[in-house]
Amino acid sequence: MHQHEVPSYLNQDNLGPWEIYLEQVDRVTPYLGKLAYWVETLKRPKRILIVDVPIQLDDGSIAHFEGYRVQHNSSRGPGKGGVRYHQDVTLSEVMALSAWMTVKNAAVNLPYGGAKGGIRVDPRKLSRGELEKMTRRYTSEINFIIGPDKDIPAPDVNTNDLTMAWMMDTYSMNQGRTATGVVTGKPIALGGSLGRRDATGRGVFVAGREAASRIGLEVVGSRVAIQGFGNVGNASARIFHDFGAKIVAIQDVSGTIFNGDGINPHDLLEFMKQNPDVTAYPKATTIAKNEFWNVETEFLIPAALEKQITLENAGHIKTRIVVEGANGPTTPAADDVLRERGIIVVPDVLANAGGVTVSYFEWVQDFSSFFWTEDEINKRLEKIMVEAFKGIWDVAQDKNVTMRTATFIVACTRVLEARALRGLYP
Amino acid sequence: MNQHEPQAQSESQVEDLNLWHAFIDQIETSQQYFRASSETLEYLRHPKRMTTVSVPARMDDGSVRFFTGYRVQHSISRGPSKGGIRYRAGLNLDEVRGLAAAMTIKCAVMNLPFGGAKGGIDVDPKTLSKPEIERMTRRYTSELVDLIGPDKDIPAPDTGTNEQIMAWIMDTYSQNKGSTVTGVVTGKPVAMGGSIGRVEAAGRGIAYSIFGVAKRENINLEKASAAIQGFGMVGRYAALGLYERGVRIVAVSDSSGAIYAHDGFDIPALLEHKNQHGTIMGFNGAKRIDHESLLTLPVDILVPAVREGAIHAANAAKIEAQIIAEGANHAITRQADTILEREGRVIIPDYLANSGGVTVSYYEWVQDFNNLYWTEDEIRSNLEQHIQHALDSVYSVKLERNVNLRQAAFILAVSRINESTNLRGLYP
Repeated sequence: MHQHEVPSYLNQDNLGPWEIYLEQVDRVTPYLGKLAYWVETLKRPKRILIVDVPIQLDDGSIAHFEGYRVQHNSSRGPGKGGVRYHQDVTLSEVMALSAWMTVKNAAVNLPYGGAKGGIRVDPRKLSRGELEKMTRRYTSEINFIIGPDKDIPAPDVNTNDLTMAWMMDTYSMNQGRTATGVVTGKPIALGGSLGRRDATGRGVFVAGREAASRIGLEVVGSRVAIQGFGNVGNASARIFHDFGAKIVAIQDVSGTIFNGDGINPHDLLEFMKQNPDVTAYPKATTIAKNEFWNVETEFLIPAALEKQITLENAGHIKTRIVVEGANGPTTPAADDVLRERGIIVVPDVLANAGGVTVSYFEWVQDFSSFFWTEDEINKRLEKIMVEAFKGIWDVAQDKNVTMRTATFIVACTRVLEARALRGLYP
Repeated sequence: MNQHEPQAQSESQVEDLNLWHAFIDQIETSQQYFRASSETLEYLRHPKRMTTVSVPARMDDGSVRFFTGYRVQHSISRGPSKGGIRYRAGLNLDEVRGLAAAMTIKCAVMNLPFGGAKGGIDVDPKTLSKPEIERMTRRYTSELVDLIGPDKDIPAPDTGTNEQIMAWIMDTYSQNKGSTVTGVVTGKPVAMGGSIGRVEAAGRGIAYSIFGVAKRENINLEKASAAIQGFGMVGRYAALGLYERGVRIVAVSDSSGAIYAHDGFDIPALLEHKNQHGTIMGFNGAKRIDHESLLTLPVDILVPAVREGAIHAANAAKIEAQIIAEGANHAITRQADTILEREGRVIIPDYLANSGGVTVSYYEWVQDFNNLYWTEDEIRSNLEQHIQHALDSVYSVKLERNVNLRQAAFILAVSRINESTNLRGLYP
């Protein structure tokens, strides 16, 4: 039933996201040349830790949650990747996300391997005190395998800078000294970095701009549609807008709005502070949910959930460049349709790498306890994204493959080069 | 399913031999005794930490093979976790966590200051050369180096591993740490921090537990007979221990077959024969019998010391022995357990019967802290006393609660774990 060897610790009938990742590795293997000797390394997470996280709830009872930390690879440096709290988190998902972190970190040439963690919990059902206790106990359980020189967590779905502050504090208390660099995405007051909030959106913009320059498309005056107005979506919108592009459509959970002359995202954000429903925004018209995919644009930025561009809408999307702000927004089948239609897709592992890049800057700053200005951070981010884009674009042209495949080729080559150089211990 | 022996009975295959399921079953059966401390039972359902690691190792032909390794730390409520490492083809996480949980219970029954753990690699070590096993072992150890340690989690030998492998683990851990740490594993060679008497400990422990139970059941050991399934490290020293106390060992078996002698075997001579020829076959005066009939001989004492599920629903009713000591972990299936109980047999559960190994492992760990080593006499007399104390405690629970020895041992263990869990409280 499976093409792939099924690890005994996964559901034998449903490999889930891990299977998608394995297929991606298979697709890239023919391009790896002699390094394919080591490809099995990519198919096996280095270390998987499953921990019990018991906490006393506010009512006095004890609840047990299942926590994970997967270190997929450490060939290029310590593990790096977020921690998510969600009731549907599974080991397969965390494994796949950790592997994609390996790919992403290598794609933009950060000195990291890949990791990911999470707790199977619906955080909305916990009080703030319970969340803190759960976070501290989880951190304490994974204490041995994390650290600034081992594995550095960061915020992800349903975790934030406060969660990171708790993790940093718990780890530091366990170690008997302050170790700010054990997590990134911390509050500025505790060794966090400036520019992290907008980092992913800024990276999305740079990736889009670079793609445009390759096909002679002007960003100034171009039309942009953005799905999702959370952290990534609104930062992308603001930065595209400030550069002179027109944000013509925005979709979020509350609805979809359109304005052919452009929506000012700063104004929309101000408005949403009072009224979180975008459809109530007076300077745009509300359109049907599916209409979003028919809006004519030069840039389409899915920055919300996975599996949004599918066989159903891929055939009539009218855009030149898709920049994947979210993780996995395009299904493999839709990917093929977009390629046939000549639409460039800047894949998630490259497009949304701005977040982990500024995490990297935060970690670097924490080592020296010497902090950079926001301007310095943005410049460095720009440089890393531009270089990464160039390398991947050239491989895509050279080998006549999509940017997604090219990103995997570049990333897997870097990981396996390191693997081969380091050799096998002992 | 853990059917890895070809001679396993087809009937037993319908029974669930998943060791984790067996443990959860035991917890569920025990729920009625623990209304006040069901929180502890809930803890026991959730292994503290389960680690899976990728173990790439260079083969002699230059290629790289990837193995999957595990280490489950089930509980550390009473102290660092303790448990063996097995190399077995088909090893999976359910088997490892089932065994880890059983170690938590066993250590608590014996009142050792340990929680339970277990680990291993999904590999048939017979398919690897010695250098390949060494490289695989060293890489596996290296992956776990942050999780194990004399004050955290202490591995030991188990199926498919031995004292040489423990020496490699100790060396790799020590090299990683930059100083010699003998106490990180037990079951080491005596030449490098191992304990005298460790090799024979599991077998001798079985014999000691039988002595205690026989006394309570009014069985005169000097007139008693016994059949021992298995003549490996466990079975042979169980046989020797019983023989030295005057028990007639009328049947033994090993992988080559089973033999019978009505007047009993001269066990030291049989050991000598096994050492010389690698098999018990061909021993003077032995009559060959088939494997399965060894279990159903009219003897007083039966020791299944080969594998889990050896006594199952289809053969349990035919067993005639009054005392059955579970030499192998989970040698008796849940269904067989019920049948034997109905027939009035006394079962010494694995938690108690084969705890000699971990108890002498405990002595080894203690000796490693001190770098001061005990004599064989000290080890043996401590072990016998230790097992008698555990039996006393289990019997007092048995009488108080009117349950069998297995249930009594489990209740005793959970009560002890409960006490330490409550005293320590919940962090943070």
